[in-house]
Amino acid sequence: MTEVLFIAYFLVLVATLVIKTPIIKGPWLFLMRAFFPNWKFFHAVGYVPHLYARSAVQLVTGELQWTDWVLIYPRRVRRLSHLVHNPDTNIGLAQQNMVDHFWADLHDLPEGVDPRGLVSYKMMQRLCDQVLRARDVNFTHCQFELRMALDDREGCADTQVMMTSPVEVVAC
Amino acid sequence: MLSTAFMSTFIQALVEVPTLMAIRATELVFAWSLTIQTLEYLRMGQYTAQDAFWSWPLQRADIPNAPVRALLDVLFKPHMHQLHLVLRLCAAVALALQGASLPLIGFLFVGNLLILIRWRGAFNGGSDFMTLVVLTGLLISQVVGALGNVELGWQAGFWYIAIQAVTSYFMSGAVKLLRREWRNGSAMTIFLNGAIYGPLSAKHLLRNTWLALFGSWGFIVWEILFPLSLLDPRLAAVFCAVAALFHFLVFWFFGLNRFFWAWMCAFPAIIWCSAQFSARFV
Repeated sequence: MTEVLFIAYFLVLVATLVIKTPIIKGPWLFLMRAFFPNWKFFHAVGYVPHLYARSAVQLVTGELQWTDWVLIYPRRVRRLSHLVHNPDTNIGLAQQNMVDHFWADLHDLPEGVDPRGLVSYKMMQRLCDQVLRARDVNFTHCQFELRMALDDREGCADTQVMMTSPVEVVAC
Repeated sequence: MLSTAFMSTFIQALVEVPTLMAIRATELVFAWSLTIQTLEYLRMGQYTAQDAFWSWPLQRADIPNAPVRALLDVLFKPHMHQLHLVLRLCAAVALALQGASLPLIGFLFVGNLLILIRWRGAFNGGSDFMTLVVLTGLLISQVVGALGNVELGWQAGFWYIAIQAVTSYFMSGAVKLLRREWRNGSAMTIFLNGAIYGPLSAKHLLRNTWLALFGSWGFIVWEILFPLSLLDPRLAAVFCAVAALFHFLVFWFFGLNRFFWAWMCAFPAIIWCSAQFSARFV
């Protein structure tokens, strides 16, 4: 009997890969998703969200002088000792996960709803502010953009802009 | 009569000693994994401060229920959160020194849920999931044990951990097998280029199409065959050794050190369950 159950279990797993079922969503399910792991890691290659930000200084003429767009993507230096202590890399990975969540939140947002109400939007604002401030503390305006990038073996094959935030006046 | 009793005790000891070893190994590796995670969280105070990116005053809007939100407001005050992490560290040390107990595992389980909520459901994805799996297995063992059957508790706990761990490898391999980009080896190069340690150098070995293809298929086949580890404990040990190498490579290329330790916690349960399964059915 146990053998049958064992084989049946793996047949059910295979079936879940083939048969598409509706996705159940909810705020508590999202926060407790660790109880329902799907164990799908690095499985699909496709468009992935990348966060870009830029800052501006307002000139005396009133005109805004913008910097180039900056990709906010964690890059770290590898060390063997990181096997036992790696907070900096892990916070970088968590930051990129947050960008993925922002993309998912935007994707699920009903038509016409302002994304500025999203928690993930506000977190992106904070992240951009933090990164831009590290580059230049004197900026007066900022803006961020979510772009979907498709990579191939050689590098970026295509990029599409998914969302551009309104220009924000930075509180001093 | 005496020799029958002796043989019975001897056989029972043979069965029980591996169980005790598996229990102790799980407790020790899990305590180590928790310690690593907790020390890392303790270093992240600047990122969870009120004005930081992971600020609780921002994230609290995720909580749909007002009384729960008010409770979490108290628990996630920076000093309270730091205190919780220090207590968690003490609990991990206690787990290593004294072994599992219901209050200890109960505290770690509830604390783990709080940490997951603090990081919007997961801090580090898969490693959080596997940590919760092992913690749930330990909780099962303690709850069933407290109800009067310690042996059954550990059996249930180990089987829960082992089935989840075996499933994690099988599913991970199966989804890759269904993707063309994994079957032709290109996915590995693309993911490695996007990793936190930067793109592969122009002359890196894994840019070689054939090597990437061979590596991809090697891991896909190994992951899909992982359920076979339950047929023999020696086979399970080999599968776990390859898994350790695999997780080390994942750490080396993607910086995921927590994955390495989180999955390592499941290895004693896999080998123990393999011994049980093969003794009974093979």
